[in-house]
Amino acid sequence: MVGATALSLEGLVAVDADVVRLRRGDLNALSELITRYQNRLYRYLLRIVRQPAEAEDLFQQTWLRVVEKIRSFDANRNFDAWLFTLARNLAIDHLRRIRPESLDEPLANGWHRENVADRILSKDHTPLDHALAAERRTEISEAMAGLPMIYREVLTLRFEDEMKIEEIAQVTAIPVSTAKSRLRRSLEQLRYALEARYPGGTWQ
Amino acid sequence: MSEHDKIRELLALAAADALTSAEEKQVAEHVLSCIACSNELAAWRPIASELRRLPTPQPSSWLVQATLARAEAKLIEQAEHDWNRRLMIIVVAFAWLLTIASWVVFHVVSGRFDRFLGPLLSHTWISFAAFTALEWLAGGVAAVMLAIRQRGERRLV
Repeated sequence: MVGATALSLEGLVAVDADVVRLRRGDLNALSELITRYQNRLYRYLLRIVRQPAEAEDLFQQTWLRVVEKIRSFDANRNFDAWLFTLARNLAIDHLRRIRPESLDEPLANGWHRENVADRILSKDHTPLDHALAAERRTEISEAMAGLPMIYREVLTLRFEDEMKIEEIAQVTAIPVSTAKSRLRRSLEQLRYALEARYPGGTWQ
Repeated sequence: MSEHDKIRELLALAAADALTSAEEKQVAEHVLSCIACSNELAAWRPIASELRRLPTPQPSSWLVQATLARAEAKLIEQAEHDWNRRLMIIVVAFAWLLTIASWVVFHVVSGRFDRFLGPLLSHTWISFAAFTALEWLAGGVAAVMLAIRQRGERRLV
């Protein structure tokens, strides 16, 4: 635990140093940052737009925007949150142009979280050991891809990027309480989607 | 809303490790005595756990290299732009300095040649204004020509 914290602090210091160097126009710092964030940023964009070609284009645009705006970046801010905010703004502008309907606020689907809980309580819990881990991941990945953009986004930020609620709120430009309730709703929607897609499966 | 309902709302977030320490404590105490909530929390855990283990899609090395190349080109372009702007400020400051300094020279020189100039042009200030306008016009034309040439070179690159 201590080792992990030390490593993460070391990573943060390295990012800060790279950001300072990039602000001075250091090409190596740019390369370091792109290498460091390539997987996380690409994954985030892919989760939002779902199309690899579009995610690739947005990935390039995001780094061009970073170069353009790095001087206005407040060094007291979290670079991760700033970078993901830039990416998010570009992705949303893109979706607004290409598929505006994908940005619509999701409806409740006539479903309430109590329904899931009640269904689960009404039967014995199927042990997850019976399902293969790879299958479960495919299932969850597919169910997640079917969720509205704002839910996919908050799930990837929390579980894949391991962002804290405060950071998620910063990236998505919403209050912390809204970020928290959005995370809860996204999990509920995901569970509902899993149960609907795989009735009688390991998710019930 | 009863305590039970409040805790129930927190269970998904508990599995997501997104609760405050006070909320965590509340949930932990409640699930010890509530089987329904304990089962519900247990149902959330594998979902959260699988979400954390989703495979990360990797960008292709081509994409990373292309991005790096484009971003580097932009960084260099910006550095050039900054350098040009700084140079322009220095040149303009120098030009003004030269203009003011030349006023003294012009005043002395025009005083000597007053008799050769017409009565209208013999006014030092008019001559000086004309000289300054000509000087700045030439400077402006040179700057525009340089900018056009630079833009053309950039397009070729």
